Amino acid sequence: MKFTIVVYAAPYSSQAAATAFNFSKTLLDEGHEIYRLFFFSDGAHNTNKIARVPQDEINLQASWDELIRDYDLDSAVCVSSAIKRGIVDEQEAERHELSTVSLFKSSEIAGLGQLIDAAINSDRLLNFG
Amino acid sequence: MSTLHTISKSPKSHLLRECLPLVDKGDGILFIEDGVYYCANNKLSDDFESDITWYGLKEDLNARGLELDDIKAIQIINYKNFVEICEEFDKVISWF
Amino acid sequence: MNKLQKQTFTFISRTAPYGSNRPQLCLDTALAAAVFEQQVNYVFMEDGVYQLLKNQDAKAIHTKTIGKTLETLDLYGIENTYVCNESLESRGLSLGDLVIKPKLTKGDELKTVLNSSDTVINL
Repeated sequence: MKFTIVVYAAPYSSQAAATAFNFSKTLLDEGHEIYRLFFFSDGAHNTNKIARVPQDEINLQASWDELIRDYDLDSAVCVSSAIKRGIVDEQEAERHELSTVSLFKSSEIAGLGQLIDAAINSDRLLNFG
Repeated sequence: MSTLHTISKSPKSHLLRECLPLVDKGDGILFIEDGVYYCANNKLSDDFESDITWYGLKEDLNARGLELDDIKAIQIINYKNFVEICEEFDKVISWF
Repeated sequence: MNKLQKQTFTFISRTAPYGSNRPQLCLDTALAAAVFEQQVNYVFMEDGVYQLLKNQDAKAIHTKTIGKTLETLDLYGIENTYVCNESLESRGLSLGDLVIKPKLTKGDELKTVLNSSDTVINL
């Protein structure tokens, strides 16, 4: 079955992003597919590669990145959510004259059309916030 | 068409009260995250209607040290079962 | 974009304006669905009904006035708007207080709307 997972919550400040991660990992382990991960609003923070976490804590951003790469997932972050929160890819960094790229290479900046497309083309859409 | 509703905030959010008018016979309600405190409160679970299937997420219950023995109205499920019931219901509505 | 069939999206907006970005997220997503020519239902319930109050002006708190956008929902292709009767009544409001005239609904009618939906976004 094809799932789309929408994440509205930042990591660490609430449990929701971790729940979304556990759910995503479990469904992939069970042989299901993810059509798209969509990070929206504060959920954009999950795609920030600059974040650093103490060694005895789980780095959720790095865990998402690993999961996305391991399963070659389509991972999108809402463009307006991302840029407002300082999450930029190479193109946006250049456009805004920023010295750092903060978005993981494994995710792409996308518009809300990608969320609508995902809803249409998935069997199930789950929201975590 | 049946729907799985997930509730992820503690009873002080009144999410169950908000959600119930939209829950149809044959739907399911799954408590996750702080929503599992609904399962822990016998006063609340006495009112759980029988034409709805009630679930609590095991990992979240265990994390909070909640006793499961007396919860007869609620099926305790793990993440794997969470994925399975998403298939059984036609869609999922999240309450958070 | 892959194949773009027409599906039914229902948006439930349950939170008051300005205190959080949830009403705006809900609205932005619904507008995107309408742009992609999907069938869109928009439901205001609980504190979400406050988004529809007349005379909003959020300039002084540096925010877009959401009531102004909601006034023109039909121009964006969102014509099926609903408001939960109980949510209005319990807040001492009536249809005359609102910037648009959504369909007044009770629980059972909303169940029908949800049952006919492919995707529900609930914020």
